[in-house]
Amino acid sequence: MEFWQFSGLGIDRDELIVYIQYAQYIRKGIVMSILTVEGLHKRYPTFHLDDVSFALEPGYIMGFIGANGAGKTTTLKCILNLVQKDAGKVTILGKDFSENEMSLKQEIGFMFGGVDYYEKIKIKKITDVVRRFYSHWDDDLYRGYMKRFSLDENKRVEELSSGMRIKYSLTLALSHHARLLLLDEPTSGLDPVARDNLLELFQELIEDGERSILFSTHITSDLEKCADYITYIENGRIIESRAKDDLIAAYRLVKGTKDQLQGLAPKMVAYKVNAFGFTGLMRTDELSKNSGLSVEPPTLEEIMIYHAKKEANYEKPAV
Amino acid sequence: MKNLLYKELRLSIHPLFYPLLLVCGALLMIPKWIFFLALMYIFFIVVPNIFTMGKAQNDILFSVMLPVRKRDVVKSRVMSIVLVELLQLLIAAAFALLHAVLYHQKNFLMDPNLAFFGFAFVMYGVFNIIFFPMFYKTAYKVGIPAIVAIAAALLFATAVEFAVLAIPALRELDGMWNVGAQLWVLAGGIVLFVLLNMLAYRISARRFERVDL
Repeated sequence: MEFWQFSGLGIDRDELIVYIQYAQYIRKGIVMSILTVEGLHKRYPTFHLDDVSFALEPGYIMGFIGANGAGKTTTLKCILNLVQKDAGKVTILGKDFSENEMSLKQEIGFMFGGVDYYEKIKIKKITDVVRRFYSHWDDDLYRGYMKRFSLDENKRVEELSSGMRIKYSLTLALSHHARLLLLDEPTSGLDPVARDNLLELFQELIEDGERSILFSTHITSDLEKCADYITYIENGRIIESRAKDDLIAAYRLVKGTKDQLQGLAPKMVAYKVNAFGFTGLMRTDELSKNSGLSVEPPTLEEIMIYHAKKEANYEKPAV
Repeated sequence: MKNLLYKELRLSIHPLFYPLLLVCGALLMIPKWIFFLALMYIFFIVVPNIFTMGKAQNDILFSVMLPVRKRDVVKSRVMSIVLVELLQLLIAAAFALLHAVLYHQKNFLMDPNLAFFGFAFVMYGVFNIIFFPMFYKTAYKVGIPAIVAIAAALLFATAVEFAVLAIPALRELDGMWNVGAQLWVLAGGIVLFVLLNMLAYRISARRFERVDL
């Protein structure tokens, strides 16, 4: 007698398997976040990555936004130990990254911009080297993506356009069944059509709920299209990290006359004065009803711009 | 590690360097020459070129993005350079044998005998223990580490040549067929070579882990 008949549950084997898979799914989905970053610190002479924390659950796309030099790449490099962090903890798939670096790197696909290494070498040869490192390397999947992206294996890296380089880099990251994709500026340098295709591919990749993508960008319109979560970094500090819709709902773009500005100024994140009055960003909960202001939901870009303006106001002049 | 070594041999070390090792080995056929010099050409040409080419090709970023630890990247590079050095010694040994068989005359300086190869092992060890830790402090500055390491290897080789010529007790290390004592020098040289390389790897790996890429 088999154990599932013996168990007295009155279910057959196939049903039991489905239940087990479901239980695993719940475990992965609820208990285990795919990436957790806690209290990351890194001090450079002129820049400080200050207490960076955020978490990403399986099956979602998180956009990592911030101005140039805000600390996006440094954060990604700290996550991967390419830059030695001063403090902080990175947990991937429930395991501490520093202690399980080798096995976890098998589960991650990452790219920093396009391919800018071994430019004189044919990509066939580079693939031949890279594929050996991954125990789950899937040649069929690799060929599939190469075909889909119209990449020719016999070309040298230098012969690829910047868009092609990004696609090749992504192909390498995807061909070993990575569960977490860390992509640094994957869309910059791509034309609008290629960008849209790429964003569609991202959506497709996370559909099964097993995979997550964290991608940094300063092109906020990409995120309007596909991100579920937004983490916004400014000057080395995380300003916001939450669901995109919540983030947009938490702020309002207000417009009014110069007279109205007087009392409102301290309540606002930042504002710009123009000939007709002012435009500023405000937290929704700070907004009083019937204020006579024109109120509308902001775009991600506006949230980013006004926060950057606030940070810039805090900074003391260099001289 | 096997995969990283494959990467080193396939991408990082240009295949043209192997015939060069053959040419440098053949320099041992020059009668009455300074044979340590023949073994030093890899310091002048092969090692600096592998590292500057690596820099130009962004090799380090490529390597650390593979599923390996930072220290493995150092280990594979140290191992591949050691491999080149061993290949150079092996080729040189074949020519040294030919030298001994063909020419029946003494050289002015040390003959390419077993003790010579023992000292050559130490010379490579001295180069490695200086070059690797200095290079991996920054992981991009090649020039100064190469110059300092070459200077140290040159000093060591010069000291050995003069010691063997000037100190009567060391005389039996010269000449082609005094195998007894020379074998001890060879064995000691190999042991020291291994120890120096292990130390070079350990220091370099620790330094490289602190480098922000």
